[in-house]
Amino acid sequence: MGVENSSLAVGLGEIKISRLPTDILVAYGLGSCVGVGMYDPIAHVAGLLHAVLPEHLNHGENSAKYVDTGIMELVAGLEKNGAIRSRLTVRIAGGAHMLNAPGFKQALNIGERNTAAALATLAALNFRLAAQDCGGNLGRTVRLYVATGRMTVRAMGNPERDL
Amino acid sequence: MSEATENFDEHLRSLLEVMAQDGVHRAAEGFSGMMGKKVTVSQPRARLMPFTELPYALGGPESEAVGIYLQMQGQMSGQVMLALPYTKALELVDLLMEAPTGTTQQLGSLERSALAEVGNITTSFFLNAIAASSGLDVRPSPPAVIVDMIGAIVDIIVATSGGVREKILLIEAEFVCEGRSVEANFWMIPDPATLEVFSRQRLNDGR
Repeated sequence: MGVENSSLAVGLGEIKISRLPTDILVAYGLGSCVGVGMYDPIAHVAGLLHAVLPEHLNHGENSAKYVDTGIMELVAGLEKNGAIRSRLTVRIAGGAHMLNAPGFKQALNIGERNTAAALATLAALNFRLAAQDCGGNLGRTVRLYVATGRMTVRAMGNPERDL
Repeated sequence: MSEATENFDEHLRSLLEVMAQDGVHRAAEGFSGMMGKKVTVSQPRARLMPFTELPYALGGPESEAVGIYLQMQGQMSGQVMLALPYTKALELVDLLMEAPTGTTQQLGSLERSALAEVGNITTSFFLNAIAASSGLDVRPSPPAVIVDMIGAIVDIIVATSGGVREKILLIEAEFVCEGRSVEANFWMIPDPATLEVFSRQRLNDGR
């Protein structure tokens, strides 16, 4: 056996950045939350954001909780670790509509709003999206492998697949 | 973050705990009525938990679970979730269908509607107990049944209440019927305005 990989959980409203090839950044069970993964293949640095709500309204609060400020913080953190913005591969996953039942307002579709906020923020920062797996009604676990930059998505009862 | 949320302190926790424990016992009564069999509940434990730790309460964020979700409306508003590990939900369906444990292998629409009914009955009794002790009127919305990873189920609560730092009241209970037991969690998340009412009530009580 070679060196063991270690999974680094990225919790609600968190950002994890790593340059350790054995690390796997994992956002478990993303529902309406959005996971934004960025990877610099030259500097071998990866970062994953697990954002909860679309826009940052309340200053002074944890910025990684929000899609818009979270993406900016993710980019800044990667740059601090040697990443170059133009080299970053950007992928997003999550934003499911979890409360798709009669009697609940469609306005509560936070997942769709989170996805829209991610696309808008990335476009404003001139990022091109390499891949996305957003929407639907199922939660997802997202993994970003620091060694290769491979990003995968797995829904309940399904195998892990590359994004 | 509102002041009421900040005030979700120990006194409030104990007030909510008393209400919720009574609520869980009433939920068991409702469950008994539905089953036509005696259902008892083990001494429920209540604790206050930050949202961020909630995914770890039922076996970790990726573990498969069933959530039965309702919103409270009226003078008291907020959210209630009855959460069960997936395998326990299958056993609960067996219990409801009077089938041997292990019969139910997956949750189709019939099984989901049976679980929704359990959520409906238990949470209605639960909320009635809380309404009675607080003197506040409350109506539950129709239940939604969600089968997914626990993290995704928690997202519903977090996204609806808009918080990550806020805490929720977690009540762990075990329902026992004819020697079979089903562990379940009730998550109760009153809206900030409702918390404020609860805090005022505490002052009026002179506690």
